[in-house]
Amino acid sequence: MEFKKLLFLMLLVCGSSVAMAQRGIIKGKISGQANEPLAGATLLVNGTTSSAAADLNGEYQFYVNAGNLAVTVRYLGYKDTVVNVTVNAGQLKVLNIMMQSRQATLQDVVVTGYTEGQAKALNQQKNADNIKNIIAADQIGKFPDPNAAEALQRVPGVNIERDQGEGRYVSVRGLAPQFTNTSINGEQIPSPEADVRYVALDAIPSDQLASIEVTKALTPDMDGDAIGGSINLITRTAQTKTPAISGVIGGGYNNLMNKGNVQGQLQYGQRLGKNEKLGVLLNGNYYQNNLGSDGVERAINDNEVELRDYQLTRTRLGLSSSLDYRFNNHHEAYFRTIYSRFTDREWRRRYVFKPNDEEIEKLTKDRFEAQSVLSLNAGAKHTFKSFLLDYEAQYSYAEQNTPFDNEAAFVAGIPSTLNYTDTKYPSISTDEDYTNNSRYEFDELGMGNTLAKDKNLTAKFNVGIPYKINNSAGLIKFGAKVRSKDKSYSITQNTFENLGGVPNLNEFEGKPVKDEFMKGRYSMGNPLDVTSLIRYFNANPSQFELQIADKAADEALESYKASEDVFATYLMGRQQINKLMVLGGVRYERTKVGYNSKDVIIAANGDLEAIRPVTGSSVYDFVLPQLHLKYELDKFSNLRAAVTYSYARPNFSEIIPSQEINREDRLATIGNADLKPVKAINYDLMGEHYFGSVGIVSAGLFYKKLDNFIYRRTIFNSPYPTTGTPIIERIDITQSQNGNDADVLGAEIALQRRLSFIPFLRDFSVYLNYTYTHSKARIQSREANQDNANAQEEIRLPGQANHVGNASLAYEGKKFSARLSMNFNGSYLSELGGVSSEDIFINKRMQLDATAGYAITSKFRLFVEALNLTNQPLQAYQGTPNQYIQREFYSYWMRFGLKFNL
Amino acid sequence: MKILRYFILPAFLVALSACDKRNDNVVEPNVGDAFPQIINFADEGDGGLEDEDKFSFKLGLIDRVDPTGENLGGKVIPLSKGVRVNFEVTDFEGFSKLSDYIKDAKAFYEIDDCTTSEDKDIDLNLTFDVNTGKGSVDFPAGVEEIEVEFETDDKLFDDDVLNTTDRKIEIKLTGITDDTKKAVVNTANKFEYIVLDDEAIHGEYELDVNNAEQFGRFVALFGLINEDVKGLKAADVDEITIEFAYDKFKAVIKLKETEQVDECGETETVNKEIEIEGGLEELDTQTLAGAVEFADDIEQEDGSEAEFKYSGEFKITGKTLALTLKGEYNDDETEEITLNLSK
Repeated sequence: MEFKKLLFLMLLVCGSSVAMAQRGIIKGKISGQANEPLAGATLLVNGTTSSAAADLNGEYQFYVNAGNLAVTVRYLGYKDTVVNVTVNAGQLKVLNIMMQSRQATLQDVVVTGYTEGQAKALNQQKNADNIKNIIAADQIGKFPDPNAAEALQRVPGVNIERDQGEGRYVSVRGLAPQFTNTSINGEQIPSPEADVRYVALDAIPSDQLASIEVTKALTPDMDGDAIGGSINLITRTAQTKTPAISGVIGGGYNNLMNKGNVQGQLQYGQRLGKNEKLGVLLNGNYYQNNLGSDGVERAINDNEVELRDYQLTRTRLGLSSSLDYRFNNHHEAYFRTIYSRFTDREWRRRYVFKPNDEEIEKLTKDRFEAQSVLSLNAGAKHTFKSFLLDYEAQYSYAEQNTPFDNEAAFVAGIPSTLNYTDTKYPSISTDEDYTNNSRYEFDELGMGNTLAKDKNLTAKFNVGIPYKINNSAGLIKFGAKVRSKDKSYSITQNTFENLGGVPNLNEFEGKPVKDEFMKGRYSMGNPLDVTSLIRYFNANPSQFELQIADKAADEALESYKASEDVFATYLMGRQQINKLMVLGGVRYERTKVGYNSKDVIIAANGDLEAIRPVTGSSVYDFVLPQLHLKYELDKFSNLRAAVTYSYARPNFSEIIPSQEINREDRLATIGNADLKPVKAINYDLMGEHYFGSVGIVSAGLFYKKLDNFIYRRTIFNSPYPTTGTPIIERIDITQSQNGNDADVLGAEIALQRRLSFIPFLRDFSVYLNYTYTHSKARIQSREANQDNANAQEEIRLPGQANHVGNASLAYEGKKFSARLSMNFNGSYLSELGGVSSEDIFINKRMQLDATAGYAITSKFRLFVEALNLTNQPLQAYQGTPNQYIQREFYSYWMRFGLKFNL
Repeated sequence: MKILRYFILPAFLVALSACDKRNDNVVEPNVGDAFPQIINFADEGDGGLEDEDKFSFKLGLIDRVDPTGENLGGKVIPLSKGVRVNFEVTDFEGFSKLSDYIKDAKAFYEIDDCTTSEDKDIDLNLTFDVNTGKGSVDFPAGVEEIEVEFETDDKLFDDDVLNTTDRKIEIKLTGITDDTKKAVVNTANKFEYIVLDDEAIHGEYELDVNNAEQFGRFVALFGLINEDVKGLKAADVDEITIEFAYDKFKAVIKLKETEQVDECGETETVNKEIEIEGGLEELDTQTLAGAVEFADDIEQEDGSEAEFKYSGEFKITGKTLALTLKGEYNDDETEEITLNLSK
């Protein structure tokens, strides 16, 4: 099947080359009245199917037949513009067009704010060959979203997982984050985290971005390892010869912590030189956020309750630059860099009530984590008489450095009684004051550090050959890519217990950081100050005993080194047949992976028996045919359909051969280096209508059939190792395995519209989207045992929420603007339990945010943003929705300041 | 003005770096090589009967990470340079003057199973002042453990009455002289030596192997945890003794069968023995009747361990001990069985 498609496309390439004679090139920039680039504007040579769409910078180029041509330029919110131009054979004609706003003409309303940002995004979306959503920078700026993850939550079909109230991971179309790949400027970036491939997008400040694209149906020139979707973060570039300096100075306030926040951003961009050949853009931003949470957690099986008091300081530093040099109208080169650093200092103070042991533990964790991502892209674009060529090399590096992760525990022999009649707030009763620190004896002090590194070296090229068959324009494109990845994780852990003499907790107590906890429902007393304990540790080392076997096991079990080499090539064609655009092609990807890790074997008596080095490797190939159809019902309406193949590589934590063999409990957890990626066939159908006054109504259906779905399986009474001579005859082995399939079915609708058709609401606009997803995955039954090991059961895919949506109402006056935004996600399965009643779900959540701005002048604007106005908690439940196991509250927080554009 | 614009971004970045949040209140822990060698008492305490003429404490080094990786649980890494350890008798009960009880002291270490430092005339320069209770001793380089032994007056406590007050001595480490600053001593822990009263439960008792009923009860009781005891016949047994020591219970079955044993180059013929030991979890002392419980783990065929536990009560009448115990092991248990033992 795939071979036939490949053959067809090759014939197309050969046949088209004869049609290249007598052609010329039109190239230029489409801009608005303020010289702003109109990304996504379309150009059509009248009477032909020759067309092009402007890129993010408003720039375009396309091959046309030589002669006197009439070119129509369209852009939502602007009047259609027709330009006559004469192009000679072999000539490159530069055609810069300034368009006039439809609203400026018709309604005496300046096209700014809402319309400008939306227009950019929607024009690109409308003219894209495949199904994608695009958010432009100024649209991102209209929502109170400081990082890329939170900006993405506004996109239809996107759900985010939060950490301490801030968005972190992104799920697209009901599939967990590992099914989505993340790129910067079109090239994948490595993950700073050790055990996963996906990127925590709270590390990327949204102020760094020119736009975000969420591609929901892949084309052959894109990496094929994305089943849910592909996220591309695009950084900014210089636009005009006038120095453009913009920025933000602001502060903020977190109500729970009663602390302030700081933010700032500055951007400079300018095209230099007589002919504006050199473009320079520099962008820097910084955001320091003091936040926290109050939480209560319950371990149902152990009859335990935890009170968790978090205090965090997070910073986000973003630096990016873009240099581009246009040698002439045919050739240009660029060098883009982005560096982001996210730091997270966390203090976690908690009580663990253990009635069964007649104990209460009191612990404090003090951890600092810095996630850094660096991406350097250097490349060039060439426009030759008969073909287009671009190539790029990328170096990207990500690391998660945790220089200290210290946690100390003290234990008091205080009996407690827990009552869960109020499922939201378990009641705790003790015979004596559990906050009395003199009752808590030292248990252990753990001090560790970790370093996860991930490095990508990538090189790629793309060649585009325009052609014409029977007056229908088309493009053949092919290219190749190689990527070499090195990933590693190292751990140092030192846990000390009491050798004798360590005083009780009252000698190490600090002061509370909040006036009250959970609105006074529970007492936290004076917390344990870990730093004070570490000072004591340094002064009195003779009272502490290192747990040496634990250190050996902890450091060996999760550490690893891995390499992954990817080679990819593709061939695709794009053909415009009247109103129908057909894009088809095939992509081939080969992945070669190798891993080094360690076995940790726990002896039958519970002692650490051995640590053995292990290695694993695998090679897999994918041929991924892709077909996209786009039919232009009218100049504002499209009907799209796509059938695409894609896959998702397993997480490193599942594939590395790290193994724990616990002969005492007769349980083994082993990696699976032979684990195959999940493969999927994706069907998409989408109808969209764009409003001339800027807006969209769209509806789509999607269905994904996943094969080789990965799930954790327990093999009962298996020999170990599973191949070769067994050293253990019978042990229960838990391992991620392939084999079962899953279905995802969904529908999404979206409406964005300025309510200009209602006279008294003409300054209001709405932004609505809703996605319904349904999934079924088949796994080995949790009720299975050695007698019915092949029994199956159906589950929802982890991370899949049935309902995800956004609603936003905005007012855009001449000087004042305001927006109320609601983001909703339904409950989703977070973790599979040993039995279905132990499954853990994240409860549905609706967050309400508000923003407002006031333009002092055309260059200065005051803004205020308030998030989580209704104090929505993170809630997890086990088994049934009213059986809460985690409730975490953040209160509201806000930011305010001044934005300027000089 | 234009020039000024170009300075805005660097100035901004400098301003940002100035307001960047630093990690405050962070202390770097002294771990890894920075974590010192620790000298500590090898045991928390010991005990001897009233007529014991000596007691000792051992000082050892706490295990460290094995740099070769062979010993995953760590191992003792001897000091590269010797240190001098100071200690002190911090408390004593049951007598008025230290010199009444302690007569002399010496220090040594084992070179191998058959040789001590004394045999090689190696002097650890032990000093001990019976008036102040203060002493010091060398902990040499290359040594894993040293022992300080006190000669005691064996008649001071040797009486024939039940004692209901403590007679004990408590020692703490007080400091170290270490030029390298790489070793420390634990000054919080104490070593406690307790004089055990042989009129109470402590001491050794004998079971009459010729009493078929008593022998049968012994086999029924301890055959639960020991297959050799389970198949024992009285005719094969020379002697059975039971001892309540400082912190453990010990039963020794001396068989009539003998074996050749090589000890430090000398071969001798000894009776084979079966030993059963358990740590004392509970034991009433300073009384003629009370509760007793002891337990331990037994290694299974697959390498795992299973715990046994014996609990019950005792009653002393003159030189006779009536010991009533019930045993539990895995899912099996014995009835309450009474052994009559004599001193």
